Amino acid sequence: MITPRALLQKSAPLLACIGLLCAWQVASLLLNTESFPTALEAIRAVPSILGDKESLVNIGASIRRMAIGLSLAVVFAIPLGLLMGRIKGVASFFNPLLMVIYPVPKAALMPIIMLWLGVGDVSKTLVIFLGVSLPIIYHSFQGGKAVEEKMLWSGAAMGLSSAQRMFRIVLPAALPEILTGCRTGLVLALITMVTSEMIARQSGAGNILFNALDMAQYDTVFAMIMIIGALGIFLDAAFEKLRGSLVRWSKPQHDIPLSFS
Amino acid sequence: MSATVNKALLGITPIALFIALWQSLISFGYAPVTLLPPPGAVFLRLGQQLFTSDFLHEIAATLFRLFAGFAIAVVLGVVIGLAAAISPAINAVVKPVVRVLAPIPKVALYPALLLILGFDHASKITLVAADALFPILLSTYYGASMVEQKLIWSAMAAGTPRAQILFKVVLPAAMPSILTGCRIGLVISCIVVFLAEMITSTDGLGHMLVQAARTFQTVDMFVPLITISMLGLILNSLLHGLRTYLLRGFPEV
Amino acid sequence: MKVVTLRSDALAESEPLSGKPASAMIHIDRVSQRFQTSGRQSHLALSDISLTIDDGAFVSILGPSGCGKSTLLYIVGGFVSPSDGVARVKGKAITGPGPDRGPVFQEFALFPWKNVLGNVMYGLRQQGVKHSEAEAKSRKLLEMVGLKGYENFYPKELSGGMKQRVAIARTLAYNPAVLLMDEPFGALDAHTRTRLQNDLLNIWERDRKTVLFVTHSVEEAVFLSDKVVVMTRSPGRIKVVVDIDLPRPRKRAELLLDARYQKYVVDIEKLIDDTGEDEIHA
Ligand SMILES: Nc1ncnc2c1ncn2[C@@H]1O[C@H](COP(=O)(O)OP(=O)(O)OP(=O)(O)O)[C@@H](O)[C@H]1O
Ligand SMILES: [Mg+2]
Repeated sequence: MITPRALLQKSAPLLACIGLLCAWQVASLLLNTESFPTALEAIRAVPSILGDKESLVNIGASIRRMAIGLSLAVVFAIPLGLLMGRIKGVASFFNPLLMVIYPVPKAALMPIIMLWLGVGDVSKTLVIFLGVSLPIIYHSFQGGKAVEEKMLWSGAAMGLSSAQRMFRIVLPAALPEILTGCRTGLVLALITMVTSEMIARQSGAGNILFNALDMAQYDTVFAMIMIIGALGIFLDAAFEKLRGSLVRWSKPQHDIPLSFS
Repeated sequence: MSATVNKALLGITPIALFIALWQSLISFGYAPVTLLPPPGAVFLRLGQQLFTSDFLHEIAATLFRLFAGFAIAVVLGVVIGLAAAISPAINAVVKPVVRVLAPIPKVALYPALLLILGFDHASKITLVAADALFPILLSTYYGASMVEQKLIWSAMAAGTPRAQILFKVVLPAAMPSILTGCRIGLVISCIVVFLAEMITSTDGLGHMLVQAARTFQTVDMFVPLITISMLGLILNSLLHGLRTYLLRGFPEV
Repeated sequence: MKVVTLRSDALAESEPLSGKPASAMIHIDRVSQRFQTSGRQSHLALSDISLTIDDGAFVSILGPSGCGKSTLLYIVGGFVSPSDGVARVKGKAITGPGPDRGPVFQEFALFPWKNVLGNVMYGLRQQGVKHSEAEAKSRKLLEMVGLKGYENFYPKELSGGMKQRVAIARTLAYNPAVLLMDEPFGALDAHTRTRLQNDLLNIWERDRKTVLFVTHSVEEAVFLSDKVVVMTRSPGRIKVVVDIDLPRPRKRAELLLDARYQKYVVDIEKLIDDTGEDEIHA
């Protein structure tokens, strides 16, 4: 049974999309400058990008780098964060370093890393890895810290070794928080990807954006923005689904990610 | 006392090790000085430049954009977040719109902002505001919708008119959450303003980095990076001080 | 020696407790409360409650957990409006909270952003009292509840019992005619609890406010009250109203040895046990 109310609630994000597109349409018609195409013009330019083989390869390469960088970060950051959360010394060791690195824009390391490792995939993947690691470390740290001491005591009483307690108790207990970190990391990976490509200007989605800008193909610029935006929304929604099935026992704290670059 | 000293020492160690590693890479000849300048040279250059008017001008440009964007994000985020928390009608509109807009990589909008607002301050400030807005908005919203009912009831029983409850109870009670959002928003602002300046600008710290990269002046590439890191630390600790003062009554979280 | 006077709720409704409706402070008239629960079901929390409370009376409500005691208090406070029936204060229907009825919640609900003095001054400032005057009054009140010297402390720096005293002082400050207290001493240790009970009695005997007091402790109810209202398990109904005919001012040490006090406690405990059994058999 679907009530009209529930239906309205389910389709609210879709309605919001349509509403935003309408607002765009109206704004561009009002401003009426060449450099601000209407929503319809931009939508019409989407198929030509997605139909172009070279653009598709470019976007595919971007996504591949993003996936590799994100996976590496997950493998590296979750254990480090959990260790920081459980062992005071590890936390006081790494915390100040992380605080110093935190406000440094990771994508800004692009020119330096390019100098060392060239303009290839390695540099861009490394930058994504650096950008994504921090929030995942932070959330794993918070999650590990918040695990109730009593749970670990009862684990020890049942005869679990400290390594087993880490895997069997700390990891699952901190999982909701870890996944929150991964969700932020996912959005962040996309952002770092686009930004590093905008700075390196070699290939990828960010490069397509600025090439079109330079060549005054304004509808392509806006179409590309829509594609990246849609990618962000899609990845986030997909991750939410995954997370929902992984930690069914925990209520989502934020049903919207705190994304940032 | 000695515990805090120990903790501080433990914290400085990795930073010292990091710098030592950096230095040894050069000393032992693994990295050519043209690619990786020694830390001493970088800090020396930073010290030399710090009080030159050119450098201060770049910092001022960056800080202006940062603060303008951050301020807009705080005002909009707190106002919209509070409104969505207290009015179901506004909530019904804001929630799906935020759901759609929050996961979009805002930096992708930058070319559009350039086209609409031009290459000057306005487009960068808007980008900073757009990026910092959502964490502030969301924490305000969650903070305000979690306010304990009995606090509101206590104030109402003491004769507070309904219209004043928002300012007398909801806003102060949501303050811890709002300030957490502001802290995230501030770091984001630092990062975004720098990136925007790197992508296209004629001044600011990000521009300095790109300029240095074009001419392969590696020492000059590190200076703006370290500066933005320091600025972030200083602003963060200022906000932390404000937070400690404003939240002196709240239990630690 | 007078024994327990039992009244059915039907009686309580037809004839106001004191027999003098003119001096009634609170009049609860056939109040029912129905809550929407998840799904399309609803839950009847209060069913057809009628109760009159005289001006200056100390009335306690006892009953099993979940029977709707807090809900009844919230209705009198004007925080929740009943699904059926009316509650009146001084003959006027209650439409919302007002400074004539001061709540003291079990969770204290102190403003964490204000210090002790600020919390107590809040109501006075809200009534438009000048700052200096409000401060002087609040300081006196804090001295009365034994918190002199703690004016600048924040709630987080106080113990449970001290927080509760601040909450009471905060409510007393704006001088409400009615005090609505929801298990105010529930979370406290036995010693603090006894002290605060004595404090509350002293304040009440001096100011003669009307008090509606929810508790789970039969001893506490008998010790403090003129009348004890016993409620049944859900849906909450009034089972009996017991008149506590013990002399005042009451001294705890004397009362504990008093056979009449002991009999009240035993009789009411039996009544409450019956409420529980009814539920199991039903
Ligand atoms: N806002 C609400 N929505 C739905 N049901 C509610 C709500 N508030 C109370 N109830 C229900 O009403 C009933 C009475 O609740 P109430 O809090 O008044 O009980 P109580 O007698 O104060 O219990 P306790 O002694 O444990 O404090 C309970 O069954 C509760 O589940
Ligand atoms: Mg209750």
